[in-house]
Amino acid sequence: MSAFSAIGEEEEIESEDFTPGTEPQPTWCPGCGDFGVLKALKQAMPEVGRSPEETLLVTGIGCSGKLSSYFESYGYHSIHGRSLPVARAAKLANPELEVIAAGGDGDGYGIGGNHFIHTARENHDMTYIVFNNEIFGLTKGQTSPTSPKGHKSKTQPHGSAKSPLRPLSLSLAAGSSYVARTAAVNPNQAKEIITEAIEHDGFAHVDFLTQCPTWNKDAKHYVPYTDVQDSDEYDFDVTDRREAGQMMYEVESKLYEGEVLTGRFYRDDPRPSYSEEKQAIGEMPDQPVAEQYFDEDHQWDRSYDELLDLHK
Amino acid sequence: MPDDLNWAIGGEAGDGIDSTGKIFAQALSRAGRHVFTSKDFASRIRGGYTAYKVRTGAEPVESVVDRLDILIALTERTIEENMDELHEGSFIIYDDERSTMRDVEIPDEMIGLPVPLKRLAEEAGGAIMRNVVALGAACEVAGFPIENLDEALEKRFGSKGQAIVENNETAARLGREYVEEEFDYDYPYELICTDEDYVLLNGDQAIGMGAIAAGCRFYAGYPITPATEVMEYLTGRIEQFGGTVVQAEDELAAINLALGGARAGARSMTATSGPGIDLMTETFGLVATSETPLVIVDVMRSGPSTGMPTKQEQGDLNMLLHGGHGEVPRFVLAPTTVAECFHKTIEAFNLAEKYQIPVYLTSDLSLAVTEQTYPPEEFDMDEVEVERGKVVDEESIADWQNENEQFQPHFPTADGVSPRAFPGTSGGAHMTTGLEHDALGRRTEDPEVRVEQVDKRDRKVDTARERENFDYREFGNPEADTLVISWGSNEGAMTEALTLLEDDGYDVRFISVPYIFPRPDLSEEIDASETTIVVECNANGPFADLIEHDTLTRVERINKYTGVRFKADELAAEVKDVLAETGEVAQ
Ligand SMILES: Cc1ncc(C[n+]2csc(CCOP(=O)(O)OP(=O)(O)O)c2C)c(N)n1
Ligand code: SF4
Ligand SMILES: [Mg+2]
Repeated sequence: MSAFSAIGEEEEIESEDFTPGTEPQPTWCPGCGDFGVLKALKQAMPEVGRSPEETLLVTGIGCSGKLSSYFESYGYHSIHGRSLPVARAAKLANPELEVIAAGGDGDGYGIGGNHFIHTARENHDMTYIVFNNEIFGLTKGQTSPTSPKGHKSKTQPHGSAKSPLRPLSLSLAAGSSYVARTAAVNPNQAKEIITEAIEHDGFAHVDFLTQCPTWNKDAKHYVPYTDVQDSDEYDFDVTDRREAGQMMYEVESKLYEGEVLTGRFYRDDPRPSYSEEKQAIGEMPDQPVAEQYFDEDHQWDRSYDELLDLHK
Repeated sequence: MPDDLNWAIGGEAGDGIDSTGKIFAQALSRAGRHVFTSKDFASRIRGGYTAYKVRTGAEPVESVVDRLDILIALTERTIEENMDELHEGSFIIYDDERSTMRDVEIPDEMIGLPVPLKRLAEEAGGAIMRNVVALGAACEVAGFPIENLDEALEKRFGSKGQAIVENNETAARLGREYVEEEFDYDYPYELICTDEDYVLLNGDQAIGMGAIAAGCRFYAGYPITPATEVMEYLTGRIEQFGGTVVQAEDELAAINLALGGARAGARSMTATSGPGIDLMTETFGLVATSETPLVIVDVMRSGPSTGMPTKQEQGDLNMLLHGGHGEVPRFVLAPTTVAECFHKTIEAFNLAEKYQIPVYLTSDLSLAVTEQTYPPEEFDMDEVEVERGKVVDEESIADWQNENEQFQPHFPTADGVSPRAFPGTSGGAHMTTGLEHDALGRRTEDPEVRVEQVDKRDRKVDTARERENFDYREFGNPEADTLVISWGSNEGAMTEALTLLEDDGYDVRFISVPYIFPRPDLSEEIDASETTIVVECNANGPFADLIEHDTLTRVERINKYTGVRFKADELAAEVKDVLAETGEVAQ
């Protein structure tokens, strides 16, 4: 018996395959930027050639976390802030899966921040999409780690006293090997960036600006936007850490001055993933862990005697 | 000549106490003797003191006793620390040429054996071997042929080259000869060697070995005393079986990693101690409600908070039974011996997968640091059956799809157990969530579906009660009027206390319970006894509470929360005290 029959199957893949039968229509508010992520992701999947059954989407808690309800695949809607360790372990146990994690700015940069740092540091071969609406959407508009300084909310009526977290700079410092920012208002770029992120071998982090018209910003706040790769004004090498870092700092600062800069900011393609590093030192088997259980030739009792001998 | 010997080496942390003790334990084990070891860490006075204790017999030994026959004291304080256990005629080996040991006074009733450990070690090739000189000296006192040390020395020093091994062999012999020539005592010990071929391991290692035997191939953890050795054991070994170990950034990550591995199809485990369980409790509910099989090991230590990190306690029971908000079933297993750490780990994996439920496996510090000998057959890994439960493949999946060909991961079956499809299975795409969900794994607040899913999850417990044998281990006289009940690691001390009680004319039945939930119903056993005493290593007696609740009967309690495990002689005395108080007479 092989449990993983869907993996590597040749088939035509279409965007619509990723629309679930049960909840085809998301219940996000009209005008919500989250629709943009769903659309971009559905469009990217045929490009990368992976089917719903080969894909595991792990989400956190928030309006953003509902993505797994509206995207047909193997889905695991975890708890607030914990999508990354679930997702990266699934990838370690079965590297043949396409693994994507997604959640909000509160989920990923706040409560789950430590996991974000360490998942990036370990460079797991997976994609992480952060729906950055600069607010806690689901819980009705409280200040989030990316809310601008001075931003007023019910929890900070006098305006936030904190400077916002710099997600791109943090990502770079932590060790992500692909860092990009896109926006729901820019669907073509979004689709391209999500495609690239999924195809990237390593930890790909996409900070996705998703307006929350209900509690924070409407779509107009992210228009006009500039794609730094298309603009003559910006010239930097995405494979150069220092230049990427400077660019990110500028991008993060400008967002709070009302200028929306998007694009790819960093990529380090040669960097080995965590499982490659582990394999190189003999800490990870070549055969996917999850598959061994279904491999009739797998020798379960191989060297139990040796195990015991160590105790003599 | 007594064949049961209690031996110890003590000194400051950094004196190589552990590795020297281990050499002696291994030598005894290789010589076909049973061994039970324990460790003293920090101190009643101030930090730094540490000791490694070995109890050895030709018959199996299951506990420590309050008696020390031979002590190698590298510091004066080692003698002070062990004053309660030293007795008339105890031998104390020490280096009287060491500046700090020159003025040591050996109590009158004991016998001091001043041996120039350092000088003899230097003669053999280096001062670093002074502990080995002491081992040689102890062999002479114990009547243990010195050749038995050689294999253990080879194992310990073999990687450093043959010359080093030989130097150590010489050092041991110099120690032995010195005692033989300089002193003229009648040593009352003679350690008989047998042809038996034992293995020596502790509880953490037994859990690690059990996990490998059970087909666990994914482990995630964050170091914490006394659970770290589970991870250290698996690292470097599990890979040989096609598995992997991941060190997480914290216990929140550790349990979520283990969860991710399990969702993807691996048998998966994490191990920690109380402080880690605190963090893992958040994700525990998600594991349980998404019906993911997972083994979570709690090697208990003394709490609350950072507590006494290197001390024994069974204080986490209520947390394991009730930790986490909301209501959702979990199983709780508590191995009672080092060998049972192996067997119960295997059982935990099968239970987890058969019932798609998180299983807490709880051992404790005393099991974790005790190395014990067993015949290798005790760990027969070919006997192990891996039962993965209702895992479906592309063919059987059709049985579990609804009319729209959607897979139903939480289908409310009669036994409460639903089918399981790993990501990558054709026809099985589905989501699930920590939100209340329907059969499809989609969130719902529909009252009927809610009730249906809660009942379905609870039903798994009823099914397990029907299908499994959640029994107890029994010792002593089943007809006795006095019933002692304990759980977890107290079994060894209590079985030995039984013998002592018997010798004094007390007739006792002892029930040792390895299943905390679901657990055996002890109503009949308690009804049949005059006095029931529940023994546990904590202050408030959570297990006694459970028994009282189950059986609507008051029980007597023996609790210990000093941070030190029960000892057989102490336990026997306490049982007598309880019986004296309750008016029960001997016989
Ligand atoms: C442990 C825990 N604390 C708090 C919450 C409540 N909560 C749910 S979502 C959320 C924040 C959501 O913000 P974000 O992650 O940015 O997601 P968004 O809704 O904006 O997409 C909070 C505080 C929770 N579910 N769990
Ligand atoms: S509250 Fe905001 S983030 Fe949530 S669905 Fe509505 S618009 Fe989107
Ligand atoms: Mg948000």
